[in-house]
Amino acid sequence: MTASVAMQLIVDGLAMGLVYVLLASGFNLIMTVPKVLFIAYGEFYMLGAYVLWGLVLLGNIPFLPALCLATIATAILGGIVYRLIFQRIQYMEQQFLTNIIAALALSMIIAQGALLVFGTESRGMPSIFPGIVNIGAITIAAEKIVLVVLTLAVLMGLNIFLQKTNYGRAMRAVSFNADVAALQGVSANMTCLVTMAVGCGLAGFAGGLMAPVFALSPKMGSITIFVLFVVMLGGIGSMVGAILAGLILGMTLSFGQFFFGSGLSQIVFFVVIFIILYFRPGGLLGKAEADIPI
Amino acid sequence: MEKPKRTYRFKRIDTHNRTSIGIIVLVIILLLVPAVMHSPYYIHLLIMVGINAALAMTFIFLLRVGLINLSIASFWGIGAYASAMLTMRLNLSFWLALPAATIISGVVALIVGLLLCRNSGFGFIIPTLAFASVVVLILGTFDVFGGYVGIVNIPHPEPIAIPFLPVIEFTSKTPYYYLMLFLVAVVITAFYAFYSASTGRAWRAIGLSSSLAESLGVNLFKYRLTAFIISSSACGLMGSFYAHYYSALVPLTFAPFPKTIYCHIFAILGGIGFPFAGPAIGAFILTIAPELLRATGAIEPILTGLLVILLVLFAPTGILGLATSGWSSMHPSESIDRIGKWIKASLPTSRTDRENRK
Repeated sequence: MTASVAMQLIVDGLAMGLVYVLLASGFNLIMTVPKVLFIAYGEFYMLGAYVLWGLVLLGNIPFLPALCLATIATAILGGIVYRLIFQRIQYMEQQFLTNIIAALALSMIIAQGALLVFGTESRGMPSIFPGIVNIGAITIAAEKIVLVVLTLAVLMGLNIFLQKTNYGRAMRAVSFNADVAALQGVSANMTCLVTMAVGCGLAGFAGGLMAPVFALSPKMGSITIFVLFVVMLGGIGSMVGAILAGLILGMTLSFGQFFFGSGLSQIVFFVVIFIILYFRPGGLLGKAEADIPI
Repeated sequence: MEKPKRTYRFKRIDTHNRTSIGIIVLVIILLLVPAVMHSPYYIHLLIMVGINAALAMTFIFLLRVGLINLSIASFWGIGAYASAMLTMRLNLSFWLALPAATIISGVVALIVGLLLCRNSGFGFIIPTLAFASVVVLILGTFDVFGGYVGIVNIPHPEPIAIPFLPVIEFTSKTPYYYLMLFLVAVVITAFYAFYSASTGRAWRAIGLSSSLAESLGVNLFKYRLTAFIISSSACGLMGSFYAHYYSALVPLTFAPFPKTIYCHIFAILGGIGFPFAGPAIGAFILTIAPELLRATGAIEPILTGLLVILLVLFAPTGILGLATSGWSSMHPSESIDRIGKWIKASLPTSRTDRENRK
């Protein structure tokens, strides 16, 4: 393995990993603020990709505005879904399990709807940023650089949003304790709705970003399981942990695919997760919770 | 002085009768189903309902210890593949492979549980999910297990001679139906026996509050491990039956999404407070409903999803919870007792009965 191949694998892993980080931070938000284990998350990723595909290929809209539109569309859908379904469940007994079931039913509906509308065959899309960048002896596809830069920019923006704006502060307050936040005049329902919209918007953004790189298919929603692992590996509610875990996943998949092939590399990744969670049940940077709110 | 004593005795006998009448009527109805229903398709559906119900029962079994198990389908698969391997590679009889597969999944659960059961909460959920994914990947990647194409032509069970009955040959669906009933009854009896024993009391204590139970001297790890092994063995038992009934296995059947989650849905929609009746009702509705909706064609999953969401929103304690409008019952005998009550209420009433009700 030469240095250039190694570099290539690292860049691949970085690009893959950063997309997982993006998805994981959105999932983290939904998991900590409205406390929903949102299994339908991957379907929003799929919808974002399809919206972008439709806008660029059928609507002839340039890539960046289309990406913004895809993000907004999934965000609005996420808000609607929260208002219609999950907000009612927040006040029920055993809301943790009920939320999972409702989210699964939702993902069934969206996945089958996408299958009906878009068909079973996977669709490709021409690369938006063709071309190659040469840095010394290393050649990197330009679109991967764009992907990394855009992802990093959005992650920075998300962090500023969470730390500096009123909505971000409200989210952190609600995630800490909804009742206390309500005493301070923060509307838990509204905050949860905004969180859901932001989280689903992030999923849609990631989907739109990956649309030119991967083939589109209605089965893309199964990415949820990997997102779940990244979130758990990093620790629930920990942004830094999500970044670490996402990069571990990206590197494991890209190097593992090179050395062992696809199947074995996934087995390796799961075994790594198994070992890490055995020693640190709360994830790398999270706290272990003794009891789940059944 | 005598009067309260007599009513107490009378009530107790009455409760006991109701429970047993309920169980007997249910069993008779279930036994008579193949005589009334001749279509093999409906018998097939009922067999799948039985398998799903048993799997969902194992979910509630672990939920009561405070653990959410995402590897139900993989232990089901381990049982199925173990049984298929034993009969096809070692030429064992099905009647030996069935208990062997149960024990094998129990042993796997013991090994995995030694690692997993020390944690609870997400520290348990996510490793079980990782384990479930590994099982599917191992079954699919290695050629010993037939790869992603799976195994076909798994032999049917050998004819079995039971005293006082003609020799049972597994040529039509009906013998499988009775075998399914028998196995589900075995699972229910085993679970019920454990619930009633001191082990079950320790489990209930852990489910109510793990820290309180620990402070009273309940060894969390030991009891959680026991519950994990027992529930996984039950999954393996149903898996072995499924392998020989379906006679073809594909690894993706045993993926955690959607099979395990479906088992959770069956249990939750039926009602978590009802460890046996809840999963049975949930599995019945959600196995039959998609088949009834099949006529609508490709939008069937959408309708099923909508049905699930509506049920979740408007029957949050499950169908049985809504029907009995209460979330109090945590002991299995009560839920059986309630079914007995309904059946008794729907039966033609005798004079003494009417008097008792007054």
